[in-house]
Amino acid sequence: MITRARAAALLFSLAALLAGPAPAAEDVTLLKDLTSVIALLGMPCDRVVSARRQADNDHIAACENGNRYRVFMNAEGRVVAQKQ
Amino acid sequence: MMPPVRTIGILCLALAAGCAGVREAPTSEMAQTVPLMVESPPVGPLEPVMTADAVAGIEPVANAPTPPSKSASAAPPPAKAPAKISASPVAVEQPRKNEVPPPAARPAEPPLDVAALKSRLRETNAIGVFTKLALKNQVDDLLEQFRAHHQSGQKSNVASLRQPYNMLVFKVLSLVQDSDPSLARTISGSREAIWAILADREKFNSVT
Repeated sequence: MITRARAAALLFSLAALLAGPAPAAEDVTLLKDLTSVIALLGMPCDRVVSARRQADNDHIAACENGNRYRVFMNAEGRVVAQKQ
Repeated sequence: MMPPVRTIGILCLALAAGCAGVREAPTSEMAQTVPLMVESPPVGPLEPVMTADAVAGIEPVANAPTPPSKSASAAPPPAKAPAKISASPVAVEQPRKNEVPPPAARPAEPPLDVAALKSRLRETNAIGVFTKLALKNQVDDLLEQFRAHHQSGQKSNVASLRQPYNMLVFKVLSLVQDSDPSLARTISGSREAIWAILADREKFNSVT
């Protein structure tokens, strides 16, 4: 029983270890991407600290300086950052 | 009787070992002086191969002014010279290996044209999808401005597009330089070549 309990605990911790980093790395990439887009479009934003996905290619980005932008691709295929 | 003899013998051995340790100190000083002599050869790019072999050779007789400084430092202790010669080739070859690659790596990158720049930006992992799309929009906008200018037939107005072109290049460089420095270097080196293509009507029409 003790061996099973240890194995289960090991499996759980391993699963948590492997499952944890993937979304975090994805988030970091997305935040960096949104930061770059907003800067490229000339909008004031030091760094995007959080983002909420609304749809495909449509995110609400919250900047460190308090600004919030909706970053999305419009019907013409252009990336737009709209201040909220 | 035996234990005191043994103790005296051990003490003598310890004393001899201590004296032997003191004599090793000058050799370490010698080892420290070797790099000082070796550091000077890399100044001349091709000569050090000759000088490293010629330290023990005949050249000091032929060249009076320059070699005496090297031969004066190497020649007086003849017994110590073999140690210097055995140490110097290894130390001389390492600086060359460090110095040679950078000049060879830089000119190897050919300047990009517009299509190559687009494909390199598309392939790089330094920027995300949103950024690539936004960048593509801006590049297309600038190309549209060049197209309109060339179709209008004005020749003096090309300089007005230089500032937006420079701004876009700077934006691209700022996006790429941290994560893909080789691409940033290539773009920076290709800036004038790309401008020459965009500013010339015939080249522009042939490319786009």
